[in-house]
Amino acid sequence: MPPARPSFVCASCATALRSQAPNTSPALRAFGATTAQLQPPAQDLPRWKQTPPAMKMPYRLRPQPNQPVWKVNEDPEPLDEMYDKFVGRAGEAAKGQTGVDSTKGRDLLPEEVKWLAITHKSFDHGRRGFNDRLALLGKRIVSLQTSLALLHAPTPRTAPSDPFLTTTHNNNNSSNSSDIFHHVALEGAENITAFSKAQVLSPTRLAQLAQSYGVDKVMRWKPKKSENLRGSGVETVLAHTVYSIIGALAMQRGGEVAARTARERVLLPLGLR
Amino acid sequence: MKRVRLDRWASQLQPPRNPRLHAQRCAFSHETTTLPRRREVLPQQRQYITQTQWQCQRRTVSSKRRASTATALQEEVDEGEPEVLPPTPARAPLYAPSHRKAVHSAKLAALHARLSLSPKLPLQTLARCLVDPSADPRPAYNNAPFAVLGQDLLGHHTTEHLICHYPRLPMSVLFAAQYAFVGEATLASIRSEWGVEVVAAPGMEVDAGLLQLKRQVPGNSLMEGTSRQVKDMPGVRKLGAKLGGGRRNSEWNYRRGISSRVVFDDEFGELVGGEPYAGAQLSTPAAGEDDGAVEARGADGTTSTLPILPRSPDETEPTTVSDASASFVRAVAGALYLHAGAAATKTFHRDHVLSRQLELHTMFNFTHPTRDLSRLCAREGFEPPVARLISETGRLSRTPVFVVGVYSGDNLLGEAAGASLNEGRVRAAAAVLRSWYLYSPPKGEVVLPSEVEGAAAAATGKGKLGKVWRPQVIDVGEIVT
Repeated sequence: MPPARPSFVCASCATALRSQAPNTSPALRAFGATTAQLQPPAQDLPRWKQTPPAMKMPYRLRPQPNQPVWKVNEDPEPLDEMYDKFVGRAGEAAKGQTGVDSTKGRDLLPEEVKWLAITHKSFDHGRRGFNDRLALLGKRIVSLQTSLALLHAPTPRTAPSDPFLTTTHNNNNSSNSSDIFHHVALEGAENITAFSKAQVLSPTRLAQLAQSYGVDKVMRWKPKKSENLRGSGVETVLAHTVYSIIGALAMQRGGEVAARTARERVLLPLGLR
Repeated sequence: MKRVRLDRWASQLQPPRNPRLHAQRCAFSHETTTLPRRREVLPQQRQYITQTQWQCQRRTVSSKRRASTATALQEEVDEGEPEVLPPTPARAPLYAPSHRKAVHSAKLAALHARLSLSPKLPLQTLARCLVDPSADPRPAYNNAPFAVLGQDLLGHHTTEHLICHYPRLPMSVLFAAQYAFVGEATLASIRSEWGVEVVAAPGMEVDAGLLQLKRQVPGNSLMEGTSRQVKDMPGVRKLGAKLGGGRRNSEWNYRRGISSRVVFDDEFGELVGGEPYAGAQLSTPAAGEDDGAVEARGADGTTSTLPILPRSPDETEPTTVSDASASFVRAVAGALYLHAGAAATKTFHRDHVLSRQLELHTMFNFTHPTRDLSRLCAREGFEPPVARLISETGRLSRTPVFVVGVYSGDNLLGEAAGASLNEGRVRAAAAVLRSWYLYSPPKGEVVLPSEVEGAAAAATGKGKLGKVWRPQVIDVGEIVT
């Protein structure tokens, strides 16, 4: 007959545990070939909503940090509104794809992906997943679209008295433009510099853009100091989340939707057409 | 027997031997039409321009193509060039061969043909791709713009390939694989595989088909990697430092993690500007390297002053051959995109980058695989992993072998052999983790996001090659170790 409780739990502890967590009792579970099927997570809770019960300690060992408790949004409605605001009309590129009824931001992504895209690694110790990979892809997409947008951008401010640092648009220096190979495809190429890209995609500006879309209200993360968000790197996390939303759109709805969102909803507000 | 009259032959319009040059004619015609109207094109010059398009064979037998710092080509250029011009305003100095010389370069034409580049890419642009900013700092003459664009393109294609084919790859392995595909070392070896040679020193007189850069003097301890970038953008390093990211791990009270690299660092997770040499001083925002550039930090963290850019090759920072090679390959990709479009770039990426074999299973590094596997099973709701001995031999000998399998309930997750029981157990756990992280969806289900990008795709709903989009596997993330 299998034991009622494993041998490493004494009787008094078993009673205490039973009273503490009447529903789940992971400590009373015996490991081994005779184990019954591991109690699955509560069926009605989706994955984004609960941390996997097997990864949780039944009680907290360390003291609570000496700062206000940090709470994140758990309500789907503000999240959907944020997605609508973020994607705007760029979702129309997804028309015609199977399973796309409406092209509002909230309908482009499934529920799990929507929550995953705004979950930072710091949230719940990464147990509910995080958006690093999506952000990596999103950053590549945004970076490429930035370069392409810089091709059409007006000339950045160059030192006015410098005759050699000129672009093809500068008409004063036709004398030396004969040494430059002119081609219609290469117009605006000199606008692409690492400096101008870094200026456009600076994390602070992206963070401000994200705040305007309401991302800071819905993203799930855990600051180091809940009273000092700036010092805890909220701007980095906001920029990270912007990238990951673009990446999620790319993985779920294809490159066209993601590129359009990057162009119209991220770069355009940052000043690049 | 009659004397061979090469000039007679050449005076008739012959089709060039290289069919690619025939297609180049369209590109050449831009050259004559976009000459500024103010400048008079003298009849001798016009004749020279049209003749040089077709008469690459028009050389005297004695003149040879020289690759190094000889002046033979210099004299040839001077024949038809500025001596006969009316006095023009001061021309910009040339630090690399002029684009007119690109037509004459056999190396360049051979490179173009060898790589099967699209005929839409003119030789002049390919010649510009071979000029590193250290050889000529002016953006209109060097490959810097193309290199930035090409880096974006190659990086984008590589990242989406990796993420779509291996959706569960951990971040550190993703960064490493990205570097293995399109990192500097790989691109440098691609450059040498292509057969592009490097000059000893840049100049106007060298062949247009050689990679021009100002070589770094060995023994100097300068910043490795793309040192040019930090000089060119003095604000970014400080942006990073100001926001508490993009900083070196050795700074006080700072630990460089993996997640923040997505925002601050480059596509390989490396610090932009490279890691300096060991023992380098930590630069503080107050004591910056760029003297004279007064920083007016805007409210959005960007700087309002421009970087002080070098004006001539005397002021440029020397680079390594490896960096210049990488810039060249990226520049080819960027130039190909500008001239020939996205499809040609994708083909280029497939032919030169994805054709390389990468063994991903060797790129993992686990410190506690048994612990990680236990957390993985807990997260996914599997039964906890149990290691069991499957078979063994030679327990009391000098070389025992224990085959250990890791089971989740009755399911064997993975097995491995080791020289001791512990080693077998640990290796088996690592094998299971690798098999989890290296999961790849069936090939028929993988559709890359860029395959459905573009106006045509948006209109018809089908991408290139008729691929219909389907959502790709999105994994929640790796186990945080």
